[in-house]
Amino acid sequence: MRVAGTSAPRTDGIAKVTGAARYAIDLSVPGMAHVIVVRSSRAHANIRGIETSAAAAAPGVLRVITGADLLAAGLTPYYGHVVLDHPVLAIGKVRFHGEPVALVVAESRREAAEAADLVEVDYEELPSVTDAVEALAPGAPVLHEARGERVGDEGMDGGEAGLAGNVCSVAEFEWGDVDAAFKTAPVVVEGEYRYPMLYGYAMEPYNALAFFDQGDLVVYSSAQHVYMVRRDLARMFGLALARVRVIAPYVGGGYGTKSYTKVEGMTAMATYFTGRPAKLDCSVEEAMLTTRSDSALIKARSAFTKDGMLLARDFEIIMNSGAYTDNSPLVNQKTANRCFGPYKIPALRVRATSTFTNTVPASSLRGFGAPVGNIAGELQMDEAAHKLGIDAVELRLKNLVGPGEQLLPGKRGLDADLKDDLRCLSGSLGWPGTGPGSVGLGVSASDAGAYPTSTAAVRIHADSSVTLFTGSTELGQGSRTVLSQIVAEDLGIPLDTVSIVSGDTGVVTYERTTGASRTTTVTGRAIQEACKDARLRVRELAAQVFAVPLAAVEDSLAGVRVEQQDLSYGEVIERWFGAGGEVLGHGAVRKADGFAMMPPFWEIGCSGVSLTIDRETGVVTIEKLTTIGDVGFAINPALVHGQDAGASMMGLGAALHEELVYEGEQLVNSNIVDYRVPRFSDIPKEVELILAQRRDGSGPYGAKGAGEGAGNTIGGAVASAIGRAIGIFPHELPATPERVWRLMRATEDAQKKR
Amino acid sequence: MARREIGLTLNGVERTLEVEDQVLLIELVRGLGLVGTKLSCDTQVCGACTVLLDGRPVSSCTTLAIEAEGRTVDTIEGLADGNQLHPIQQAFIDRFAFQCGYCTPGMIMAAKALLDERPHPDAATVKHWMEGNICRCTGYGTIVEAVLDVSDPSRVLPAPSAGRGAR
Amino acid sequence: MAEAVALRQQHGEDAAVYAGGTELLLAMKLGVARWPHLIDIKPIGALRGVTVTDEAVRIGATVTHWDLERDPAIAKALPVFAKLEAHVANIRVRAAGTLAGNLAFAEPHADPPALLVALGAHVVLEGPGGTRTLLVSELLTGMYQTALGPDEIIVAIEIPIPVRDVRMAYVKFQVLERPSLGVAAVATIRDGKFIGAPALVIGAVDEVPRAVPTGQLSGADARDPGTADALAEAARAAVDPSDDLAGTAEYKRHIVGVFVKRALGELMAGAA
Repeated sequence: MRVAGTSAPRTDGIAKVTGAARYAIDLSVPGMAHVIVVRSSRAHANIRGIETSAAAAAPGVLRVITGADLLAAGLTPYYGHVVLDHPVLAIGKVRFHGEPVALVVAESRREAAEAADLVEVDYEELPSVTDAVEALAPGAPVLHEARGERVGDEGMDGGEAGLAGNVCSVAEFEWGDVDAAFKTAPVVVEGEYRYPMLYGYAMEPYNALAFFDQGDLVVYSSAQHVYMVRRDLARMFGLALARVRVIAPYVGGGYGTKSYTKVEGMTAMATYFTGRPAKLDCSVEEAMLTTRSDSALIKARSAFTKDGMLLARDFEIIMNSGAYTDNSPLVNQKTANRCFGPYKIPALRVRATSTFTNTVPASSLRGFGAPVGNIAGELQMDEAAHKLGIDAVELRLKNLVGPGEQLLPGKRGLDADLKDDLRCLSGSLGWPGTGPGSVGLGVSASDAGAYPTSTAAVRIHADSSVTLFTGSTELGQGSRTVLSQIVAEDLGIPLDTVSIVSGDTGVVTYERTTGASRTTTVTGRAIQEACKDARLRVRELAAQVFAVPLAAVEDSLAGVRVEQQDLSYGEVIERWFGAGGEVLGHGAVRKADGFAMMPPFWEIGCSGVSLTIDRETGVVTIEKLTTIGDVGFAINPALVHGQDAGASMMGLGAALHEELVYEGEQLVNSNIVDYRVPRFSDIPKEVELILAQRRDGSGPYGAKGAGEGAGNTIGGAVASAIGRAIGIFPHELPATPERVWRLMRATEDAQKKR
Repeated sequence: MARREIGLTLNGVERTLEVEDQVLLIELVRGLGLVGTKLSCDTQVCGACTVLLDGRPVSSCTTLAIEAEGRTVDTIEGLADGNQLHPIQQAFIDRFAFQCGYCTPGMIMAAKALLDERPHPDAATVKHWMEGNICRCTGYGTIVEAVLDVSDPSRVLPAPSAGRGAR
Repeated sequence: MAEAVALRQQHGEDAAVYAGGTELLLAMKLGVARWPHLIDIKPIGALRGVTVTDEAVRIGATVTHWDLERDPAIAKALPVFAKLEAHVANIRVRAAGTLAGNLAFAEPHADPPALLVALGAHVVLEGPGGTRTLLVSELLTGMYQTALGPDEIIVAIEIPIPVRDVRMAYVKFQVLERPSLGVAAVATIRDGKFIGAPALVIGAVDEVPRAVPTGQLSGADARDPGTADALAEAARAAVDPSDDLAGTAEYKRHIVGVFVKRALGELMAGAA
């Protein structure tokens, strides 16, 4: 290997440190109008009417648009990649406080904002429900009288039959005799666990710029999945897929929060109704009213033998999914798949219910249900260890699934050595802890990679340099760098002769999504296929140039060997064309061959902390953080470290600080003043980022995905370490100082009573 | 709205600009095409909009443009000398001290103000100074390392830590 | 200065005094306040600079937190105050924001007021009728409310410099962007005993800094754990916290007690 496996500098480095990188929010075009969204001031209400005339007459205003306008124009005013139920603008009723009700399009942003205050909505208030458990109770207000059309092919494997009331989707499976196991088990632990509602805070808020060009709809946006957005927009306007072009330039953070359609529909409507290029930039507050992650209540129990072997586990999960379907069925399914952990479990029952409530719609966020379920599944391993008097690492080692063994029936066997990872982690953290720090750790295995549809193209130019085309979006994870390294490695050329074009549906090849930690593994494989195809094309040209059979031409490092001569790609190309020319290679992967078994790979989470607690205040200080990046092969080790450090820090945010709070019908901390994300002062005193490279992944060179795993276990690990320190395990995150203090006080009171 | 002329030195160049009283500094610089300065939280918490006003870091989202009258304003675009990156910029690249890059211009400008005033800060000083700049991608560790690298060029880049399995 | 006061008189509630703008512009952007006119006082020479005499530190109304954090005379005369200033908000807010603005805005979750009240600092105000002074404790009347007249301007803040054997401490607790508690303690301690009663002020919990009645501890042995307990108890009884995102009233009251003891610990650590 020449290039793969090295920490090559980021290809986007200079652009990003000089301020030259252009994000969608930085773009403008001549004649551009500005869009401000009028948002609902009610959580649940019928719209009797919307008075727009004063706003329409205000200075600079081009048009005020409501849901009724979309219907009258014969457009499809809904979007959604699973269920078509999310209105671009509220139609007939509003379902959450902050829902878009109307658009004001004006010459300037200030004029649009001032006119937006003049739009008056006549609401007929309806009873609302913001809590998921209450939303499932009989007699609860129902958000959706009728269900949207099912348009997605994932996430609702059980179908829509039987979904009633506020149930958005259900994921359930069972094997073994769970009830019998619990009846006879010598040791049972059970409890209720709560995971908070989170906001990803990608620092570039949702935004888009849209215009029509020769009848094609062109949308620049902060989207992660440009092809998913393309499909939603094509359906809205009745356009062919080819007539919609979605472009994501540099993207200011994603973490899953920019998956799927957000403001692209509204922006496109603004240009459609005004004939002007239109720009819509959300404020952070508006972004917080656009997408959040599911909060969850998890009832769990686990049964063990006396010597600590798992007999059965049972999980009942209620997800608060907000007002619309969005990606909730998938998140719900993945939460179910990931909650019980990578253990051998003779009898298992999981039932997860995604629930509609009158709150901001939930969708993807880094880890995608894994951290949600992990706190219950992993904490119960610790609680059981405590009860059984067995070392908690030993207990995990006894029960972990080994390499090649199955976690879920019909799924790919585990492509990792979790036992070795866990030993490495516990060693780094000094388990069981000798210093003042209390150690907590955890493991997880996520069915990652999403549906493995990916294509790529490479153009070899006449000087042997290469342009890579990929539909994968650079969100900061470093995909442009890693994917370029794969091209340089497989085509044998210097890294600085590889250029990459990405995230533009009008130009690049199809990519299903940029998420689920899939890019290196799935897109990387498609790129390898494209490189192989390009090499074949070059050999074919060489065979024609030398008039020899194809078999007489061999690949060399960066070209071919034919008739005892070494020729570069460029030399073959120029000889074949006579002057100039290029070769195009195309590659595709699908759910077949190396990816025939789902998931494409298991993303490993294996990380933990050592922490201390201020006994008077409940403030937690992270003394040490360790992550095991079990990535098979690190094509760029520094970038893997970056993913592990970032994901685990985000995990610490959720573990200790972050939570969206609803008081009544309103989100009360929809700003970064009151929604506290990790700061410099939260850097753990010591950080160790360890790589495990066993070449056991299905991606290039044995690689597999990173980016989420390191964060998935942090919430559980922090709760576990706190529990070991204070004698009672927190069942609710974030473990804020007050919550920790209350737990300490409860244990003190309990001891006093004894 | 009242408009007035202001004279300022923007990225080393003396300029005379006409601005409306209520225009914010971030609107002024971005309006001039200097869009490296980013808006995010809009409440002075995140630091993405950090520019230097007479060498001091300020939130350009909450500073009136007319404040620039008679003063120097430095944005990320003025930091490199032609194609020669400023040492802070190079250190950010060497240390992988950014991912999405959205916070990076503000982060680098905050670091510049620090190193201009205290060329050799320790890690605690870096963290305290940068506490008001949020990065959601990196977990901050590489940013601290990058700033310390500039203060002490003899620091060596670490090799990736040893792990399990054969390379 | 006269022009500024005249403008203030002319526009009344339609104008706001503007210096750093860190609170003012934020409020205007959020739409919670709208002033057609801003009176920029930064050009006024008389409002600039820090003057230190034997008795007091005088801080002009346009002096920023950044300046205070770096002022060598303040570092010498009032090191605890200098350290407090170095931890106000973040570096950008300190670079632009002024101490006078911090007081005029009367945001309850702020650091300086508690220590200023404990030190007996006062503000010098100028209005059409001339100059008057108010104790900081008199200036701050409620959440975002002050005794500042609509035609008055803060000219300076004057902090008396403590005499020998006076110790001071400021400790704070913060879970969100702004402090949820600041405890300021100022006391004369000789041979481990309070001379007179210590001044103890709890900031950021109630709408205004809360001075804790400590008269019963006049002359008490500051090293006696019972003294710390009594001070903590007095502080817990003095505050009237409410539930919010930073915590419940019960927790805040508990934290007040903890940090009063920590403040006392700092006092003792610095005491001769």
